[in-house]
Amino acid sequence: MPGVIDVQGLSFKYTRTLVLDTISFCVQPGDYVGLIGPNGGGKTTLLKLILGLEKGVGKIKLFGVEVSTFKEWWKIGYLAQKSPVSQTRFPVSVEEVVLMGLCYDSVHKEPTVTNLKEVYRALSQTRTRDLARRIFSDLSVGQQQRVLLARALVSKPQLLILDEPSAAMDSASREMFFDLLGELNQKQGVTILLITHDTGEVGKYISKFMYIDKELVFFGDKQAFCQSQKVAEKLGAFAQHTIDHLHNNGHCPLGCQCDNVHGTMGHYAAHGAEAVHGGREASCAEKNRGVGAPVEKTAVSAEAVFPAAGAEAAAPAQSAGHNVPATQLNVENVSPAATTDGGKK
Amino acid sequence: MIGEFLSYGFVQRGLIAGSLVAVVCALLGVFLVLKRLSLIGDGLSHVCLTGVALGLLTQTSPVYMSLPVVLAASLGVLKIMEKVKIYGDAAIGIVSAAGLALGILITALAGGFNADLFGFLFGSILTVDRTEVFLCAALLCALLLFLLFYYRDLMAASFDEAFAHTRGIKTNRLNAVLIIFTSVAVVLAFKVVGIFLISALIILPPVSALLVARTFKQVLWISCVLALSSVWSGVYLSFVFNIPSGATIILINLLFLALAFVYSRVGRGYGRKGKKYAD
Repeated sequence: MPGVIDVQGLSFKYTRTLVLDTISFCVQPGDYVGLIGPNGGGKTTLLKLILGLEKGVGKIKLFGVEVSTFKEWWKIGYLAQKSPVSQTRFPVSVEEVVLMGLCYDSVHKEPTVTNLKEVYRALSQTRTRDLARRIFSDLSVGQQQRVLLARALVSKPQLLILDEPSAAMDSASREMFFDLLGELNQKQGVTILLITHDTGEVGKYISKFMYIDKELVFFGDKQAFCQSQKVAEKLGAFAQHTIDHLHNNGHCPLGCQCDNVHGTMGHYAAHGAEAVHGGREASCAEKNRGVGAPVEKTAVSAEAVFPAAGAEAAAPAQSAGHNVPATQLNVENVSPAATTDGGKK
Repeated sequence: MIGEFLSYGFVQRGLIAGSLVAVVCALLGVFLVLKRLSLIGDGLSHVCLTGVALGLLTQTSPVYMSLPVVLAASLGVLKIMEKVKIYGDAAIGIVSAAGLALGILITALAGGFNADLFGFLFGSILTVDRTEVFLCAALLCALLLFLLFYYRDLMAASFDEAFAHTRGIKTNRLNAVLIIFTSVAVVLAFKVVGIFLISALIILPPVSALLVARTFKQVLWISCVLALSSVWSGVYLSFVFNIPSGATIILINLLFLALAFVYSRVGRGYGRKGKKYAD
């Protein structure tokens, strides 16, 4: 069975700057892949290459077909990080925007009743049905993003490619959004490739992680990701950065000064807390139990990587203290079949 | 007064050509403005100067001489955007500067046709000949056919080019066709409003329409109506008051833009921004 996305030896340069270096991986049907990595690591470029928006060196196949000759675009739903018209007036209704997601004959004709039913199904999925007649550019950025998700879903795609889609959403919308993605993946078998920094919130659904920093540092399942020495080395600075932000005013957001930190640091503190402690629910539970001890600046929590598997991987260490230096994680149980550490073939 | 005005053949030709060109520019302008390529009209109009200078130098029609020059320039813009990977406005600026510099150089070297050149720079709608009227009509027919077949593709590509690509729409080809249409429109329009003001005919009616329209189809219709109204009233006022027609047409378009802006603020207003239009 061919992979949904099969990338072999992919490299890409912007003029003289090497952005991606000889990347190879294969995403299988039903995978839910979280694509993470530092800013400028090449994540968005990789998505653009996969979608044929940029041309690099190497081979990319979508559903077994070279991307340059790929025709069945209805199989793919794409959602970018930013709305295309968030600042400018573009007089199309939400209904028309979602209709753009259907790949019907380009010769000008009015949409059929079936087309419209598909549109309203997708709008219902993203809870934006009541916005159908509104002008798209009059909506808030978060609402626009939910409508664009409906546009990505309207053709009933088998593969969803999402580039940090939840950045502009409020917490309720984000929760709805990730629950919907999880449902699509688990119940309908939709393959998902998602760029995210929100590992805390999305971690419970993701089945595989891909870490890119110009090269493919890691590609494999959650368990292997948490135990990967190479990932631990790479994430050191990333985790430290988050922790430093959380401790800007000397208080742990999950400890006794929680409200104070939330008040002064706002959304970022909440986001960071989720990244470190695995989602808001877990954070609250830990806070109530009073186990939210201040995070050591030099330590890197396994749960900083993601919450669900992190809890399993770091369980022995948690008994001794809440945080585990990533370099001390158990690396003996990493299955070579389950992981692509380094990624180069 | 109006009867007398319309009885002149040159006025009739000017009005027909002006109307046809105005509709072409208004329709193209909607997509160019939304794709942030609206200044291509400005850039290509500057290239017209080279064509006009060559035409005057070789004693051939400046319109026919400009056509291949501007078409070549438009392809140059496309290639620069595609191969050099720079922003569209910079590519337009490069080609525009090259066209203007060459035009000035040829004019200076040849000398002696400054008076003729003046008409092309600022428009001379009443000198349009019969062949040019037919060319304008052919261009409008071709554009309407293109829009009829690719309306939804163009709308999707104008809204979100990257997503349109993932629906299998050949966005590069659509851009190329739009730019080629624009280059022909620019050449046929420089007699109507002049080289310096062509871009206004491409930008102003669509921008006014975008301010007041509630659907994409309304944008296209309103843009055409405003463009036509500006040409008719502009030519009439220029005849009555003996003032330059090109400049009058553009000033009327600016007036429409101001009215559209006021309507968008007062008539439609912010107060209704959050209103639900769903049933």
